[in-house]
Amino acid sequence: MNDPLSIQRRTFLARAGLSLGGAALSGLLARDGLAAGSPSPASLALAGRASGAVYPLHHPPRAKSVIFLCLAGGPSHLETFDYKPVLAQRDGQDMPESVTAGQPIAQLQGKKLVCLGPRTGFSQRGEGGALVSDLLPKLGGLSHKLAIVRSMVTEQINHDPAHTFMNCGTALSGRPSMGAWVTYGLGSEADDLPGFVVMTSKVGRNPQPIAARQWHSGFLPGQFQGVEFTTSGAPVHYVDNPPGVSAAHQRDLIDTVAALEHHRLGSVADPEIATRVKQYELAFRMQASVPQLADLSDETAETLALYGAEPGKATVGTNCLMARRLVERGVRFVHLYHSDWDHHSGIDSFLQEICPPTDQAAAALLVDLERRGLLDETLVLIGGEFGRTPMGQGNKDGIGRDHHIKGFSMALAGGGIKAGITHGETDDFGYNAIKDIVHVRDLHATMLHLLGIDHGKFTVEYQGLDAKLTGVEPAKPVTAIMA
Amino acid sequence: MASPPGLLGQTPVRTKPVLLVWLALSAMWGVTAACGADTVPDFTRDVRPILSHNCFACHGPDEHDRRGGLRLDERTAATAELDSGARAIVPGRPDESLLIARIRETDPDSLMPPPESNHLLSEAQKETLAKWIAAGAPYSPHWAFVIPQQHVPPPIRQTDWPAHWIDAFVLSGLESENLTPAADADPVTLLRRVTFDLTGLPPSPGEVDAYRADTDPDRYEKLIDRLLTSPRHAERLAAWWLDLVRYADTVGYHGDQDHNASPYRDWVIKAFLDNVPFDRFTVLQLAGDLVGPAGGEHPDDPVLASGYNRLLQTTHEGGLQLKEYRAIYQADRIRNVSGVWMGATIGCAQCHDHKYDPYTAKDFHALGAFFADIDDEKHLDKGGFGGKNLNSIPTRREPEMKVVGPFDRDRAAELDARIHSLEAQLPPLVLPPRAQPSEPEPETVVGSRIERDKLQLERAGLARRLMVTKSLEKPRDVRILPRGNWMDETGPLVEPAVPAFLGSVGVNGRPSRADLARWLVSPVTAGGVGEFTARVTANRIWALLFGAGLCRSTGDLGGQGELPDHPELLDRLSLEFMQQGWDLRKLLRTIVTSRAYRMSSSVSDELLARDPDNRLLARQGRWRLPAEGVRDTALFASGLLREQLGGASVHPYQPAGYYKHLNFPQREYPADTDSSQWRRGLYVHWQRMFLHPQLLAFDAPTREECTATRMRSNTPKAALVLLNDPTFVEAARMLAELALLQGGAADDDRIAFLWRRVLSRRPDATELALAKGLLERRRDEFKADPESASKLLAVGIAPLDTTLDPLELAAWTSAARAVLNLHEAIARY
Repeated sequence: MNDPLSIQRRTFLARAGLSLGGAALSGLLARDGLAAGSPSPASLALAGRASGAVYPLHHPPRAKSVIFLCLAGGPSHLETFDYKPVLAQRDGQDMPESVTAGQPIAQLQGKKLVCLGPRTGFSQRGEGGALVSDLLPKLGGLSHKLAIVRSMVTEQINHDPAHTFMNCGTALSGRPSMGAWVTYGLGSEADDLPGFVVMTSKVGRNPQPIAARQWHSGFLPGQFQGVEFTTSGAPVHYVDNPPGVSAAHQRDLIDTVAALEHHRLGSVADPEIATRVKQYELAFRMQASVPQLADLSDETAETLALYGAEPGKATVGTNCLMARRLVERGVRFVHLYHSDWDHHSGIDSFLQEICPPTDQAAAALLVDLERRGLLDETLVLIGGEFGRTPMGQGNKDGIGRDHHIKGFSMALAGGGIKAGITHGETDDFGYNAIKDIVHVRDLHATMLHLLGIDHGKFTVEYQGLDAKLTGVEPAKPVTAIMA
Repeated sequence: MASPPGLLGQTPVRTKPVLLVWLALSAMWGVTAACGADTVPDFTRDVRPILSHNCFACHGPDEHDRRGGLRLDERTAATAELDSGARAIVPGRPDESLLIARIRETDPDSLMPPPESNHLLSEAQKETLAKWIAAGAPYSPHWAFVIPQQHVPPPIRQTDWPAHWIDAFVLSGLESENLTPAADADPVTLLRRVTFDLTGLPPSPGEVDAYRADTDPDRYEKLIDRLLTSPRHAERLAAWWLDLVRYADTVGYHGDQDHNASPYRDWVIKAFLDNVPFDRFTVLQLAGDLVGPAGGEHPDDPVLASGYNRLLQTTHEGGLQLKEYRAIYQADRIRNVSGVWMGATIGCAQCHDHKYDPYTAKDFHALGAFFADIDDEKHLDKGGFGGKNLNSIPTRREPEMKVVGPFDRDRAAELDARIHSLEAQLPPLVLPPRAQPSEPEPETVVGSRIERDKLQLERAGLARRLMVTKSLEKPRDVRILPRGNWMDETGPLVEPAVPAFLGSVGVNGRPSRADLARWLVSPVTAGGVGEFTARVTANRIWALLFGAGLCRSTGDLGGQGELPDHPELLDRLSLEFMQQGWDLRKLLRTIVTSRAYRMSSSVSDELLARDPDNRLLARQGRWRLPAEGVRDTALFASGLLREQLGGASVHPYQPAGYYKHLNFPQREYPADTDSSQWRRGLYVHWQRMFLHPQLLAFDAPTREECTATRMRSNTPKAALVLLNDPTFVEAARMLAELALLQGGAADDDRIAFLWRRVLSRRPDATELALAKGLLERRRDEFKADPESASKLLAVGIAPLDTTLDPLELAAWTSAARAVLNLHEAIARY
């Protein structure tokens, strides 16, 4: 933050922030843009809502919002999107050492490594004819809408750091998550909802924990933190009025507070007071709009059935439907965590349990977005923090697979994605990605590119560095999967 | 000019005299800057920032990633002939300097910095570089690596303004800008400000009245002395320190189980209460286990303090790799020790030499080697420890020890004595032979036994577990991990060492954590970097009192950090701090008794336009309170605050299901059902993965990493907390109760009571009218709907005063909510 121009600009921003409220400010910030350099965290605090820090966008966007359906725990690519006949033939045989030598291994450390063939059939599905497993018939049936990437790699082999890496581009704590980055960069188009919303669901069992770090704003200002919506109880923490306080009472209170603040502004010209009045107004609007958003009674029975949504229940179907409602209302980034994909053992039964509702909900999301004309402008990402080993873990009855980071699959659809393709390959065992490798950083670069942002120019100064979502190692948008 | 070492030398000179050379050198530099300030760009102020920000990433200290063999952070290298035969910088000859040619290129393939770097030099910046080269391209060391010097306060014109030397530095700066300092803040604003700053709480109405009535010319100094020695002050400082050392109550990874750390937190509070000198405070935390207690210290203190080394994030997630987590833990400790005491980002050198500062990857690993003796990996070794008690609340992170917190010692001693004396009176308990009816014991004996058991139970409750520091017999091997890759064991082994360009700890044999700690707080003349540590710390203390550091980047005093706005003042402050016994209380006292501190924070439009960030210090700062202050103020004003030093962490109301994502084990939030509910924010259970939403909404950090400066956001989420969080609703109800019981009989008096409790002032006529309007409308509503009143009054566990009219109390609760939601209630002016 040392070049005079940027200091000048920051000074200007700080001044703007000191003399104007949030709404007017966002316009100023938007005009200011980011292209000339990195703003300091201090000036970031001023970034507005309606438009973001990247203005004008670096190039025309192909999508304006993102839904990331995160299958948390690490879904097996070998039972979903990546068919490996050779692995099937080798089932029960030793894994060739040449494949695994020198690789990090999680729970199978020190154990005998034995091939485990695919536990389900695969067939060509949808108009795209991609090979997709029998566990995902509905999503597979939409293969002509999907770009299936079979060559994902990540760097972290344990859940917690792997999620952090997938979401924040680094395993270090304290960095912004991608939803925070995107919302900071683009702002939000919803004036009564947060720009970055997180929802979670799980199936039965005992899923891996998830940390709020995954939707934290890190060194970006607090307003870019993901806001967690829940499907039972208050949809957002503290969004309900206190017991015994009617909407009219709360309105009266906020109006009185605003009048007192305006009066105070007359003698103490502190612009933070004006900003706070605006935040109270926004909070009040959220109090009205969030319950309305969470109320699914205006959805048809057909739509509810399509998703398998159950109002009031935090299922993957309900959350996918909520995601559509959120992007419909201008929310920028919706992060859905659907947990319980950590199948170290019992993979057959657990996949039987978790795949059908996930398959239905994900397919419904694509269908519903498309029929509402939203798919073209919404980027949908489906996948987990890593994949699973071609080697079996556990005994033959309750067999499962361990964590795997050298090759796994994700499915992408919607805004700017080349539909009906597959991209990349793993080796015959489904172990190493060997062709058109897509690193997590490349996924981030691709997402930002589709949103109109050049990942290399999208920086914020932090600890002396031009910090980026894609980090310091090289990253590139994957043009082959873009329309 | 001989090539100076360190930053300037061709290769860093890895010996101790480095700093001394800098001392001499920086004196020369001062002269140069003074002579040519008008015409020649100043290297530190004008040139280095351009080079650092735009060039050093490829042409800086990191030799592994240096392009074209060009290094620009050292003069000798920068002016040397390159392989191409050209010279990047030809002193005195900008037209012959390749650097100038390349930054003025029109061909994008040749332009520097390259367009893909997204760095673009302005014409003014290019001109600065050209002028600097024309003037001979003089280099000077980075300010933060130059030893602080004892600057004499500069001459000033308005000699009656300064209270002491700090003011001379501030005023001199203002006078050179033709500015005058702001008027003194009015007494109540000042009282409220300094009470918030030093204790984290507002003054009570009684304190306001007493202060106003006090005619003693030394009333302010008396106030400061009272505040600085108060337990509340120790708590306030502890909150600051706990952010730095990333104190939390949970492990931070994966299952985020509770771990046993709270006695360390209490030791910090006690250390501030006792005003333990900062050098000792440092040594005890890094190496209490090695140095043991000094005279006057409780024998347990070093053990409690050594809990510092165990505060990092840990995990026992299934399938983790031992070597990987050794590397992760080491890096965590390096980031923290360098962040807390050095204001340095040495963590950046984990995978490669630092891009902007002279820290090498070897320095990184050698610094980590100081911590290689810490025994802390039993939980990583499932085979050895069997995973026992890991997925439990709290988890076990051996080695642990049962300790009595510093504030429980007196009570423990008292209990021990009473138990002892009871036991002395008791006959030995003889088990009667089987099937033979025993003689009933006399009632007095039974009573004594019951009493003894009760006391023993209480005594047992005073002992809390703490993760402590113990040394392994043989420290772990530490290798340089190429590119930070823990699977690559080809790198050489390293011994503990401080960053080479800063000298060495100068001991024979393998240096220990104690040596590192002493090096951090020993003066340069004694071979340490104490002056630098003092500067990092004094700068942060200044930030607590003015809202921003004299160097704004309180977490990074490296090459990419900001230049200090008042470097000489910062130097002087640092030296005073170190030379006067590392006395934090004295440092705080010096700053708050300055005239500068006492200025008004009001600002004219003109001054705001001229100096929006208040870098010139023509006024005081104003800002929203930290998260704990927001909470504590509401509890204090409502009379709910339960003041108690130390103890286990507490669990205020939290939204249901907030921990639903936590697992191993799954857990319910144990909201407190007694007065623990109303303790200060400092004591709130710090769940790293799901920090209490009340704290999070006001920018409290998750304490996964060192936090030197908290952000201050202003968001709808914060508004929702103040409006709807039961803590604040309950506080409003209790404040309303107080108003009805103590605030007089008339509405106006009671409203004034609310204002005084929360804002330390009386309402004006407009405010009275607005509050009364709300009150009356709510009275009407609750009369029509008494059930709503009952519901509102049922929020929280504080008992309801049933002697009061519930409808009236509910209406007043609404009025109290209004006051508690004002910006002024949570701001410091």
